Amino acid sequence: MKILLVEDNERVSQFVVKGLQEAGHTTDHAANGREGMFLGASEPYDVIIMDRMLPGDIDGLAIIEVLRKAGKRTPILILSALSDVDDRIRGLRSGGDDYLTKPFAFGELLARLDALHRRSQGVNHEVPLSVGNLHMDPMTRKVTRGDRQIVLQPREFKLLEYLMRHADQVVTRTMLLENVWDYHFDPQTNVVDVHISKLRQKIDAEFDRPLLRTVRNAGYMVTAGDP
Amino acid sequence: MIRSSALSLALGYVALGITALVLFAAPLWYAWQVTIQDGRSEILQADAQRLADIYRRDGGDGLKNFIDTRVNMQIAGDRILLLTDTSRKPLAGNLPDWPRNLPTTPGNYRINVDMGGHGGEETLVHVALLGNYYLLVGRDNKLFAPLERRFWYGLTAAIAALSIAGLLVGLITRRALMTRVDSIRRTVSAIMHGDLKHRLPTHLSDDELNTLARTINGMLEQIEVLVHGVRNVSNSIAHDLRTPLAELRSRLEELALMRPPAESVFAEIDGAVADVDRVIRIFDALLRLAEIDAGLRRSGFVPLDLAELAETAVEFYAPAAELKEIELTFHADGPLPVAGDPILLAQALSNLIDNALKFAPEHGAIDVTVRRRADAAAEIAVADNGPGIGDAEKAKVVERFYRGDASRGTPGVGLGLSLVQAVAKLHGSALELSDRHPGLCVVLVLPASDMNAAPDSVAAGTGSASAAPRPAAPAAATAPTS
Repeated sequence: MKILLVEDNERVSQFVVKGLQEAGHTTDHAANGREGMFLGASEPYDVIIMDRMLPGDIDGLAIIEVLRKAGKRTPILILSALSDVDDRIRGLRSGGDDYLTKPFAFGELLARLDALHRRSQGVNHEVPLSVGNLHMDPMTRKVTRGDRQIVLQPREFKLLEYLMRHADQVVTRTMLLENVWDYHFDPQTNVVDVHISKLRQKIDAEFDRPLLRTVRNAGYMVTAGDP
Repeated sequence: MIRSSALSLALGYVALGITALVLFAAPLWYAWQVTIQDGRSEILQADAQRLADIYRRDGGDGLKNFIDTRVNMQIAGDRILLLTDTSRKPLAGNLPDWPRNLPTTPGNYRINVDMGGHGGEETLVHVALLGNYYLLVGRDNKLFAPLERRFWYGLTAAIAALSIAGLLVGLITRRALMTRVDSIRRTVSAIMHGDLKHRLPTHLSDDELNTLARTINGMLEQIEVLVHGVRNVSNSIAHDLRTPLAELRSRLEELALMRPPAESVFAEIDGAVADVDRVIRIFDALLRLAEIDAGLRRSGFVPLDLAELAETAVEFYAPAAELKEIELTFHADGPLPVAGDPILLAQALSNLIDNALKFAPEHGAIDVTVRRRADAAAEIAVADNGPGIGDAEKAKVVERFYRGDASRGTPGVGLGLSLVQAVAKLHGSALELSDRHPGLCVVLVLPASDMNAAPDSVAAGTGSASAAPRPAAPAAATAPTS
């Protein structure tokens, strides 16, 4: 992915640029709003990471509004130290696609960037999903692995669907909470892990190759690749 | 002194009193003057008539004699009589001369007569022409002067007395008021200097100042509780942040000192990140509490189905309950539309179930019930059969950072119930804790509001203003980081 990072804090920028590089992404860095606006408008990026509060007269939200008015549909992730719900809403209303509060875990940022990028490629909710020999038909709500049919509860289905739509990508617990349960808070317990292990029981228990994997310090991934 | 409100009020009343007095006296005075004047004119005319009769009967000399007799007998008293010939030369009477300025045309006149001790200011005279004589009949006002004087003296005295009394009352009221206001001022300035224990003096009476003093005392009570709470919270924050920070510090210091092999360095770094995450979690919880307390989240109120919200929460925790072999049950009579903040209500409910899971024993039972009460309020009850909370602790468990004896050794920082309480308060209700012997039942009541009573109109009214982000598809994301 080609990513633009607009962030004035040198330490955070260094950390993000380096991390993205290691994850195999090309990153341009703009340290102020003017440069960020220029790059964002002229270069084709897959995702833009935008800090909300920038030095100088242009702030992150203003840049987003300008880019959107100019017809740029590049997915934008807003990075901010403001965690109020109102700030979040304002950020999303201005044209941002996702909102991450500082301080954040790098794994969370990476997973969200992947999800944003995949979303921008377009999601077809009717096309059957497959990961290895695991198949899901969102229309008939039928799930099979190999030739065995798997019976899932509605919420388990939603959980697996989200994981399969983001196959080969890390999905964090927060992302699952938000998108599967619509929970925008931290339940402070490992309930998501329990749900995952129940789901794992159903789809992986009697097969040699596990598809639903735990990614240490980050989240989960459904993949048919080698562990 | 002029700016004293008691005094200006008293002076205002004095002015009002004086105005009333004058308004009362003026018409009286006028009526009196008119009546007397009319009466006297009639008397004078009657006198003149009688003298004219004498003139007609006895002729000019007869009249002259009659007047002489009257003047000599001094019957006239305050009366003035004068008979002159056509050249105004006096013939008889007690006036030495025809007054200057007085015409000889018959009629009533008001003149100043000061001749020979008779007459005075404002003397009323009647002039008549009898044949070749001019007759002047008058009566001076001396008789009424003392009465008039008394009237004026009385009025002035009344005004003076009123003014003095008003001033005195004003001064006394001001003094009394100043004493009490001063004591309030002293107390308040003592409080401003940091001593929150002071209270305003109150009396048994229900006068305005006392009512005010009692209200202010109530406010001081509340402020003291709040300040005390803030102080406690700051202490608790300091303490609760100190623990993970101390761990983090020693972890890093040890790394710097020992320089262990790479493998264990990474493990230590993971631990350090976990320590920092703990600190961030505490901050996030506090920020959210502050946000709720500030009432900012009321903008996020939308119509929602409480039963569905509770069912999702129960279903969310079901696998965790299963793992502990706790029976988690859910009861609802069907959809229960209310107006509220979906994110906060979900979080509050999640905290309640999470708590119940923490404290319910193995093979225990937790029940979540959602129902509409008789008074139209909506109610969520979360009941467990754990150790419960003693009466002494009930008030404390909702305090920030309070952790009961039963929670020793369980994860958490003691903000869970504080948040539920804050959410309840935001929705206009309080948290009710009751015993189930064994176990605890926590009830969150959402009072019936206009919105709750008529969910249809709500859907039209606030649906579009739905400020809380509620992604419908799995794609959208608005994230609180953990």
